[in-house]
Amino acid sequence: MAGFGGLLLIMAAAESGALLFLANLRHNESALQARFLARNRTLERIRSNIYLSGTFVRDSLLAPEQSGALLQLNALQNLRRDTTAALASYASAIEPEEVTPFQNLRSQIEDYWKVLDHTFSWTTDERNKYRFAFFYEDLVPRRTSMLQIADRIEALNEDALRRGDSKLGDLFGRLQFGLLAMLAVTLLGGATLALFTILHILKLEAEVQQRLTESVRSQASLQELSARLVRAQEDERRALSRELHDEVAQAFSAVLLEAENLLDLDPAPKVRAHLDSIRGVAENGMNEIRNMALLLRPSMLDDFGLLPALEWQAREIAKRTGLRVQVASVLSGELPEEHKTCVYRLVQEALNNCARHAQASAVEVSVRSEAGQILVTVEDDGSGFDPQRVRGLGLLGMEERARHLGGTFHIDSKPGRGTLLSVTLPRRDVAAREPEPATEMLWNGVPHGANSHTTG
Amino acid sequence: MAQIRILLADDHNILRDGLRLLLERHPGFVVVGEAADGRETLQLAHDERPDVVVMDIAMPSMNGIEATRRIVEKHPNIGVVILSMHHDESYIIRSLKAGARAYLLKDALKSELISAIHAVTEGRSFFSPKVSRILQEDYFQALGRKDADDSYELLTDREREILQLVAEGKTNKEVANTLNLSLYTVDTHRTHILQKLNLHSVPELILYAVRKGIIS
Repeated sequence: MAGFGGLLLIMAAAESGALLFLANLRHNESALQARFLARNRTLERIRSNIYLSGTFVRDSLLAPEQSGALLQLNALQNLRRDTTAALASYASAIEPEEVTPFQNLRSQIEDYWKVLDHTFSWTTDERNKYRFAFFYEDLVPRRTSMLQIADRIEALNEDALRRGDSKLGDLFGRLQFGLLAMLAVTLLGGATLALFTILHILKLEAEVQQRLTESVRSQASLQELSARLVRAQEDERRALSRELHDEVAQAFSAVLLEAENLLDLDPAPKVRAHLDSIRGVAENGMNEIRNMALLLRPSMLDDFGLLPALEWQAREIAKRTGLRVQVASVLSGELPEEHKTCVYRLVQEALNNCARHAQASAVEVSVRSEAGQILVTVEDDGSGFDPQRVRGLGLLGMEERARHLGGTFHIDSKPGRGTLLSVTLPRRDVAAREPEPATEMLWNGVPHGANSHTTG
Repeated sequence: MAQIRILLADDHNILRDGLRLLLERHPGFVVVGEAADGRETLQLAHDERPDVVVMDIAMPSMNGIEATRRIVEKHPNIGVVILSMHHDESYIIRSLKAGARAYLLKDALKSELISAIHAVTEGRSFFSPKVSRILQEDYFQALGRKDADDSYELLTDREREILQLVAEGKTNKEVANTLNLSLYTVDTHRTHILQKLNLHSVPELILYAVRKGIIS
């Protein structure tokens, strides 16, 4: 911005400077011309006075009467005064080159007047006797000499005009040069400014691009983080579930066995009662732990795959709530671990929602693969809701899960019209996945053919 | 009477110890080996040729269901009793399909375990009451849901008789002897039963029988 302002200021200054200079030049030029004309006029006056003076002298010499001569003398005096004034005015603005010829002219004119004065003192006889000789041998040569000097002065005056002109030309040339220089400076400044501006804009653009990239990256890393959190949570659930099932529950079953062994020894009735109580506690503990493990993550999901886990989930919901749940699955081949978990958790959440909020009596779950996609739908006949207004954490979590795998999540529901939840996941080849952590897969690669199971 | 030779397969030492104690105190039982994973079980089954394997499902390196499949495939005379923590029908059904003849939960009573071992050595099936209940519940739930017509009604009395005997683990020859029929007739009946019930193997037939409450 400052650069642009500076450039504009420079241009304005150059412009006004050039205008001032031009005005000055014009003024100088007219002054020069005026001076030339004035001096020329003065010179012309002197010249004509000298001519006239010759005429008056001749007339006075030729006049028969003294009185007529006096009349001429009077006019001559006037001429002399005027000439002296003209000389004085010329001398006031004289060029150095003119000084010598002008002084020459002046002294000759002074001499001339003196000679003329002399003639007026002549008597009539003297006049008659000398007048021709004086006129032709003295006055005319003097006059001619004076006029020559005036011509030289005029020539000098013209020279001065020419010199003034060429000085003006020089000034004009300087102005031209100055303007050209200014133009060059302005152009250079403009180009530099443009260069800086472009560089600055490029820098800004790069910054914007960088910020955009950063924001996209941070968003991606946020999603990645949340995906990793979900994965970590799932891994932990799996580990916990397995630990509970394989270790804690087994410990209870060991207690059961030991109780059996003690009972085998045919103990006293009192001891038997205690052993029975221990058995009861251990059996309860074992069942609790087993159920907990299944709720955390059903082992069938890892052991047999998605459909057995979904069917178990459906049976559990049915047993708990009396909801009729039908699971239909058309899947060819095993799904990648993440997809399996995602679909299982989505359906689990959806079924829980149906049981908790929907007041539904029947739910249909469908999982099928179609054209490189996995389509999951959960449809209930419950009370429905307005998806625009109700958006609980559960639904957000489901949407998030679907999005992590590049899928879409859609809810179609209206109050009183049931709810249809549909999720589409792009299918990835299970072979492209990194190998699973060592788990006890019970049923490696069980193909899920067209299979349908119902509980409720 | 010869002793029943038993192989124990469980990855928990304490459980194996308890089981060994429990079983060896029973007259007629001898524990010939203990395995802590599926592959070891296969090896010991091959080396020791036990009469019965008492098998856990969740084991490292190879799970009990896969081990059962391989053992029964190679040594059809070895009876497998599954003793598992898993009480979901998906595990029970897959175990039966792999060739196990008995399925017990780990809270089973000693008497149940002994009954199961005796049953499989005699070629019969055995399910603890809890397991039978799990299978039946699911089956009847499914029936109620789908309004599927009960194909059991399609069977003749003779076929029902044969179904029960086959499900109990009797061979065709034993069935023929029991019912005083020719081997060929029994075979024909069996084929018809499988067709009518839309079943494909003896394990499926056993599962069907359990679900219907024909055997337990």
